[in-house]
Amino acid sequence: MSEVLLQATGVTAGYGLVPAIQGIDLTLRAGEVVTLLGPNGAGKTTTLLALTGLLPISSGSVQALGIPVKAGRATKLSRAGTILVPDDRGVFPDLTVSEHFRLVDSRRRRERMARVLDAFPALAKLTGRRAGLLSGGEQQMLAIAKSLLAGPRILMVDEMSLGLAPIIVQEMLPGIAALAREEGFAVLLVEQHVAIALSVSDRALVLSQGRPVLEDSAAALLADPSRVETAYFGAVSA
Amino acid sequence: MSTYLQFAVFGLSLGVLYAALANGLIMVYRATGIINFAMGAMAMWGGYVYAFLRKESVLYLPVGQVYFPDDPGFWLSLILALASSVLVSALVYFLAFRPVRQAPVLAQVVVSIAVMLTLQALALIRFGGDTVRVDRFLAADADAWKIGGVTIEPQTVWFTVIVVVLSALLWAYLRFTRQGMATRAAASNERAAILMGYSPSRLAAIAMILAGLIATVAVLLTAPTTGLNPVSYTLYVVPALAVMLVAKMSSIGVATGFGIALGAFQSILAYLVTQSWWPEWAASGVDQVVPLMIVMIALLAFGNKLPARGSLQTMRLPDVDIPRIRPVSATVVFVVAAALLALSQDEWRFGLTTSLIMTVLALSYVIVTGYLGQISLVQVAFAGTSGFVLSKFGQDVGIPFPIVVVVCALTAVVVGLVVALPALRIRGAQLAIVTLTAALAIERFVFNNYSLTPAEGNNIGAPQLFGLDFGIRQGPDVSRLAFSWMVLVVVAVMVLVFVRVASGDLGRAFLAVRANERAAASAGIDVRMTKMTGFALSAFFAGVAGCLIGYSHGQLSASSFTVFVGLQILAVAYLGGITSWGGAVVAGMLAPLGLVHTVIDHFWTTGNTYALVAGLLLILTAILNPSGIAGATKHQIAFVRAHRGRRQPGAVAETAAEIDANANRERTTSV
Repeated sequence: MSEVLLQATGVTAGYGLVPAIQGIDLTLRAGEVVTLLGPNGAGKTTTLLALTGLLPISSGSVQALGIPVKAGRATKLSRAGTILVPDDRGVFPDLTVSEHFRLVDSRRRRERMARVLDAFPALAKLTGRRAGLLSGGEQQMLAIAKSLLAGPRILMVDEMSLGLAPIIVQEMLPGIAALAREEGFAVLLVEQHVAIALSVSDRALVLSQGRPVLEDSAAALLADPSRVETAYFGAVSA
Repeated sequence: MSTYLQFAVFGLSLGVLYAALANGLIMVYRATGIINFAMGAMAMWGGYVYAFLRKESVLYLPVGQVYFPDDPGFWLSLILALASSVLVSALVYFLAFRPVRQAPVLAQVVVSIAVMLTLQALALIRFGGDTVRVDRFLAADADAWKIGGVTIEPQTVWFTVIVVVLSALLWAYLRFTRQGMATRAAASNERAAILMGYSPSRLAAIAMILAGLIATVAVLLTAPTTGLNPVSYTLYVVPALAVMLVAKMSSIGVATGFGIALGAFQSILAYLVTQSWWPEWAASGVDQVVPLMIVMIALLAFGNKLPARGSLQTMRLPDVDIPRIRPVSATVVFVVAAALLALSQDEWRFGLTTSLIMTVLALSYVIVTGYLGQISLVQVAFAGTSGFVLSKFGQDVGIPFPIVVVVCALTAVVVGLVVALPALRIRGAQLAIVTLTAALAIERFVFNNYSLTPAEGNNIGAPQLFGLDFGIRQGPDVSRLAFSWMVLVVVAVMVLVFVRVASGDLGRAFLAVRANERAAASAGIDVRMTKMTGFALSAFFAGVAGCLIGYSHGQLSASSFTVFVGLQILAVAYLGGITSWGGAVVAGMLAPLGLVHTVIDHFWTTGNTYALVAGLLLILTAILNPSGIAGATKHQIAFVRAHRGRRQPGAVAETAAEIDANANRERTTSV
């Protein structure tokens, strides 16, 4: 088995006094692609926020790249290589595309620049444009590209398909998965397009109402989609 | 021509100050999204530190001081002045601005105003209110140059060059360095910047410190020409805000050029008003009217293009409980208040009466800000306008007492409608800038205009009704019960009017506009009309308060209606709770010359303690309870009830509202 990059045990977190997720267990290994599935409000985004230190964890523990995850450590975790692409895409409307790239630490940037631009040829033509003027798909590409540029060890992508045509996701996801396996970083996807996400993943975890209800290999779930469907309605299965 | 050029050159010293303050404002805004009304006050501190090191060989810290055996000399004094600027900037950022970086715009405006009031009060206490002379240090002995009949002091050239160079450095920092880019990035999406491994608070602290440094340097350069004065230096932020708006809150180059030009232009105006052909009545305060005109033109020209940070997030204000009239408890409150007035005497009765009057003024903030969601800093100028009309014309025309108050308040409504015009285009902190500029312009152009308001003030006769005298004074009695009871009745009527409006269709329309203008429009509400009505109504309340203030002083004095009084009242209205009439009552108690003020003055004699204590409390409240004291108490009561097992429908709704922090919900617990 390859190296464990992220280990979450019994994570409970939420907003105010109400927990939005309870008892989440999750392990991410190097080169592995895992998908978080679940209906709206299941706690997928909350899970990502808790795993990256953007939301305090009320019980349970998370270790990412050897660093115990705590609220307020998001900057440190990001520098270590735990990188989240948030559902608002995390781009800066006032900055140009090339300024986004320059925000990434310079040493890692030089090595990877050519390679990332290869993966997103459309961006190479847009370097001088302000991110606010990019289309939704281009913004999403920029968000992924700048995250890849930073050389992630754990990459989390929240709802890449939000507001985008499924075709764009269909084109971008396999590339990310291939890169992850080649470079040995872990990917945690949050997706609504179950079939597309499962087709590139190794494993999937289904949440319902803040609790994990199903975990299995992506291949097994693809073979029997009805298990995912029932899990969406909260049925716990082995 | 050369005379004009000469005055333009004289104006450069103020011009570079405006430029530097505007650049500081832009820097802070781009890093934190907060409009730093305290910029002038912060910069002034370093200037005072320098002045007192040279004058008295004393290093003043915010608390305590260090004595030097003799004059520490120019360089050490300069370094210590800049070091104290760094200290002040860092303190302001970490103690005041950072805690409210995610708070609603109103809380940010209130905090930065509170910092301004606090620093000004602290400067008054530590350094005194008199203008402090500062010796020249830059090319002090060099001979003046004469170019084409214009005399140019070498120091003028030097400080212009210094400020331009420093501005260029600021620009380069934001434009070219990775830190500067990240600062801009963090301003537009803080979470994404964190996710890229940047610490927005560190970046913002650096930006605050740089802003403080450039502003402090400008103060040091300008102070030898103008002398240091805690009021004027605090208020230099107003023209700087105008410059900032012209620079679209982002361009350092435009701000630098325009700031310098504004200083030169004001100086030429100052020369023009001394000319014989200039009408005497328009001579005072022209220099303040100019920034107002500039702001208006800037907004007309590109009002929609100004970057509205966080424009996605609607302005979250404290929840509103729709008030209703409860005859029994209202009567009890009224009788208790009347009894308290009867039992108190002299200063205490006066304090209580002033508190009642200020309640009406605070209600005008409740309407315009709490219900309509517009941040207005001009309400006291509305009050002043009404009081001014009362003192100037109300006496002679012979309109009987209660009607004359209504007539005067209606003139305030007219002014209110004019000031409301920009509110149709802009909102949030930018509206705060416009209204602050308007308030200062009205103060300088009307209230401080000696040809309209003589130095001894315009007398206001005692109000009389059916032969009864409701004057505040009669012989040795300087705080008559008849006056206080009359005030109580007026206040009760105004509160009833407020409750009727707030619980009616108009109140709902206000709340709809406050929550989301587009949604309100799509629900069939005329947003423009609603805003105009809200401003008019709030101006009417302010106008009534202005008349009562006039009656309570027996004359109109400009000092009752200064910008600082206005800011203090917004502050206490916010403290009390900006969304309810109960909050307005609390605000009245806390207001300047109100009950709490009387208590503080009774026990601590120094006049500035109130301002300092109020400022500090305000920062604290805005940080701890963005919904104000009354709002927080309500929440605590609901919390306690919920946890004692008496869970009520209202308490459940409370928790739900808290979870959904982005949803701006108006609950109607009692309909």
